[in-house]
Amino acid sequence: MTGSVEERRGRSPRFWVGLYFLSVAIIGALRISGAINGPTGFILLAAATGILIPITRKAHGGAMARYNRRVLICTFGYVLGLGIAVTLWNEYELTDPVVFAISLLPTLPTFGIIWAMARYLAEEQDEYLRHRTIMAALVALGFVLAVGIFYGFLEMFELVPHIWAWWVLPVWAVALGLTQFWHKVRGS
Amino acid sequence: MKNRLKVLRAERDWSQQDLATQLDVSRQSVNAIETGRYDPSLPLAFRIADVFGLAIEEIFLREE
Repeated sequence: MTGSVEERRGRSPRFWVGLYFLSVAIIGALRISGAINGPTGFILLAAATGILIPITRKAHGGAMARYNRRVLICTFGYVLGLGIAVTLWNEYELTDPVVFAISLLPTLPTFGIIWAMARYLAEEQDEYLRHRTIMAALVALGFVLAVGIFYGFLEMFELVPHIWAWWVLPVWAVALGLTQFWHKVRGS
Repeated sequence: MKNRLKVLRAERDWSQQDLATQLDVSRQSVNAIETGRYDPSLPLAFRIADVFGLAIEEIFLREE
């Protein structure tokens, strides 16, 4: 019996990432419409990270496979930690030390993501891929600094609303992803 | 830096992946070096020279 080439090789990473974002969008829509409550939404979001597991199995290099696995575990921990923290914050009157502690629940996994990136750079044996990732990380850092400074002044002069400072990591990650995608397109 | 990687590869009928496998690097690395978007480190340049059985200066050329 012969399967298609795609079946034999497995779906591409783009398929799993697309499916993940589709799941996130559906969970978000269910939450906004009131069909599910907050805790259920966070549990579903944490479960949805499992969709990305095939990507960690498909990665060719050892360093990239380990990076994907570490980021996936940290992302799962982040969503779970955020869900627990938000639920506790909404449901209970918390003392300052407890608020400090629950703030660490989503924070520590994001430190794990930063650590995973550092380990990837240390473990990647392919010098071009390492160079490419470093350049993408620097571009992303420059983007975050530029946006942060500009937004900071806009906020200071009361033109835009206040936003929480943790936005730096998702914006950095998006900029990193876009830069790597651009490198990939240019390379092909 | 200019290089003769593409010509040398074609002479041996090697694909980029063939060369990448021999060098133990990714195909993207070979592509980036070949198209001049990335200059390899000295150790990798020596490995490339060894694979082709040539001196480094016979593969990588000074920009005039």
